[in-house]
Amino acid sequence: MLLELSGVTIPTFDQKCVILNDVSFGIKEGSIHAIVGPNGSGKSTLAYTIMGLGDYKALKGKIYFDGVDITNLNITERARLGITLTWQEPARIDGLSVYKYVSLGMKDKSKIKEKVFEVLKIVNLEPERYYNRIIDKSLSGGERKRVELAAAIAMNPRLIILDEPDSGLDFIVLEDFMNIFDNIKKLNMTILLITHREDIGMVADYGTLLWRGNHIITDEFPRVMLRYCAKAGLKAFCKRTLFKNGAVCFDDDYIDRIFREENLS
Amino acid sequence: MKTSDYPEDILQSLEDYKIDIRNFLPGHGKGAKLLLDFNKISGIEQVDGIILKGREIPNGIVADILIKEGTKLEDPVHLCFGINKETGVQEIFPRIIAEDNTDVKIQAHCSFPNANGLIHKMFGHYYIGKNCNFTYSETHYHGEKSGALVAPVSYIYVGENSVFENNFNLTKGTPGRVKILIDIYAMKDSIIRSNVRAFGKNIKDSVRIRDSVFLEGENARSVIKMKAAAKDGGEVLMYGITEGNAPYCNGHVECSEIVLGRGSICRARPFIRATDPTSSISHEASLGRFPQKWLDELMAKGLSEEEATDILIEAMLQEEVKL
Repeated sequence: MLLELSGVTIPTFDQKCVILNDVSFGIKEGSIHAIVGPNGSGKSTLAYTIMGLGDYKALKGKIYFDGVDITNLNITERARLGITLTWQEPARIDGLSVYKYVSLGMKDKSKIKEKVFEVLKIVNLEPERYYNRIIDKSLSGGERKRVELAAAIAMNPRLIILDEPDSGLDFIVLEDFMNIFDNIKKLNMTILLITHREDIGMVADYGTLLWRGNHIITDEFPRVMLRYCAKAGLKAFCKRTLFKNGAVCFDDDYIDRIFREENLS
Repeated sequence: MKTSDYPEDILQSLEDYKIDIRNFLPGHGKGAKLLLDFNKISGIEQVDGIILKGREIPNGIVADILIKEGTKLEDPVHLCFGINKETGVQEIFPRIIAEDNTDVKIQAHCSFPNANGLIHKMFGHYYIGKNCNFTYSETHYHGEKSGALVAPVSYIYVGENSVFENNFNLTKGTPGRVKILIDIYAMKDSIIRSNVRAFGKNIKDSVRIRDSVFLEGENARSVIKMKAAAKDGGEVLMYGITEGNAPYCNGHVECSEIVLGRGSICRARPFIRATDPTSSISHEASLGRFPQKWLDELMAKGLSEEEATDILIEAMLQEEVKL
C-alpha cells in the first residue's frame, strides 16, 4: 500500500464531536482510488487530513505513506515526500502567472519552460495561450482547476489528492477531466479522487465509502458504488442508471442481496 | 557611450527587477535617454519628435522633456537618476510636456545601490495634452544598507480624452525613509491608472505614499491601486485619495497591505470625496496576512510557509492595475 490510514479519528474544531471516526483503509500504488459519500460524510476532511492541513489533526490513529509514519508531519513535509492536493475551489491570486504557479513545486529547476508546457498539454491547456496568463478571475473555473492539476502534476508526486475536481464543471469538461485522470495514471502517479458523482468515480479502480464519518467499505469501485446506493436506498437508480452502460454489471439478484444486507445492518 | 563610462554598481543594481540599465545607455538600445550620474549629466540621446534637455544646477538638474504634437514613440524614453555614493543630495526638477495626440512611455530608474543617508528629492510637473496615451513608470532601488531619504513630489495634468498610467515600484532592497506625493488632475473623458507598490523590509524602512486623483472633467475615470508589505519592523503608510468633482466621473481606490513579523506597521487610508451628485467614487482597503488557504495551496506544492509568503508578496506587488 502506498498510503494507509489506521484508526484515524478527526474531531471538530471545538473537539465536541468527530468528523471522521476510526477510519482505516489503504490505497494501492498506481491506482485511482475514489472516496465517495454524501455531503457531510467527511470526504474533504479526509483529503485535508492526509495532506496535513493545520486544522485537521488526528485525535487518534496513524497515517503511513510508503511505510513512513507521516501523522505528525506538516503540509510542506508531506508535499516534499510526494503527496499533493488540488482544491475544490483553487484560489485566484492576482499577480501570479500560470507559468510561475505551475513551476512552484518542480524539484528539477532545469528546463522549466519545457516542463511547464508539457504539463499544460497533459491537462489540455494550450501552453502558448496560457503560460503567461494570471491565475486571477480572468480564468474560468474549469481553466483554474486545470492549472491546479498541472501544478500538481509538475511536482511529479507519488500521490495526488483531487478534492471534488468535478464540482462546477459542465458535462463536456467532465469528460475531458476523466481523460486527464487517465493521463495522470499513465505517469505512474496514484490518484485519490474525492467525489460524489458515480460517473466521475467510474474511472476509479478502487473506492471507499464514507457515511457520516464512518468507513463503510473499501473495494473495487463498482461494489463500493453499489453499497453506496444500498445505503441511500436507491435501488431503482442502481438498477436502471448506475451500471447500465458500465464495463461492470451486476445481476439483479446480486443487487437485491446487497440491498437486503444493508437493510439488515 | 561605453558601459564603462557609467558606474558599474548602478548598471547592475536593478537586476532583481530584471532590468538591465546597460540597455538604456546612450548608444545602446533604442529610444531617447537622459542619464544622470549623481549631479552630472552623463549622457543624452534624442529621437525624432521629442526634445530632451538637461541643465545642471548646484545639487542636481532641471530636466525638460517636450513631446511634439502627434508623436507616437514605440520605444520608451529612459531617464536614469543614478548615484553610487553613500551620501549626498540629488535634486531633480523634471518638467514634462506631452502635446496633443501623443503616445509615449517614460521609464525612470532611480538607483542608489550604496545609499547610506543619501537624499534624493524630485519636484516634477507634467502636462499631458488632449488625446494622449502617456505612461510614466518609476522603479526605485535604494541599496541594502539603510536606504535613502527620498521625497519626490509630482503634479500631473491630464488633458481631455487622454490615458495616463502611473507605475511606481519600490519592492527590492531597503527603501529607507520615503515620502512620495503624487497629485493627478484628470480632465474630461480622461482615464487614470495609478499603481503603487512598496515593500518595507526592516526597522529602517518608513515608506509614506500619498497618491491623489482629482476627477475634474466630465466622465473622467480613475483607479488607484496601492499594494504594500511591511516586514520585520518596516512601516508603510498609504493614502489613496480620489475626489469626484465633475459629472459622471468614476473613481476607485484600493489599498492592500500585508504585515509580517513583529513591530511591522501597515496603514492604509483611502480617502474619497464627491462634490458632484452624479459622480461615483468607491474604495476598499485590507490589511493583515494572506488567507491561510492561499498559503496551504502553495505549501502543498512543497514550499515552506516563508517561501509561500514570499511568493504571495511578490505576486501582490507585481499585480497590474486594470480599469
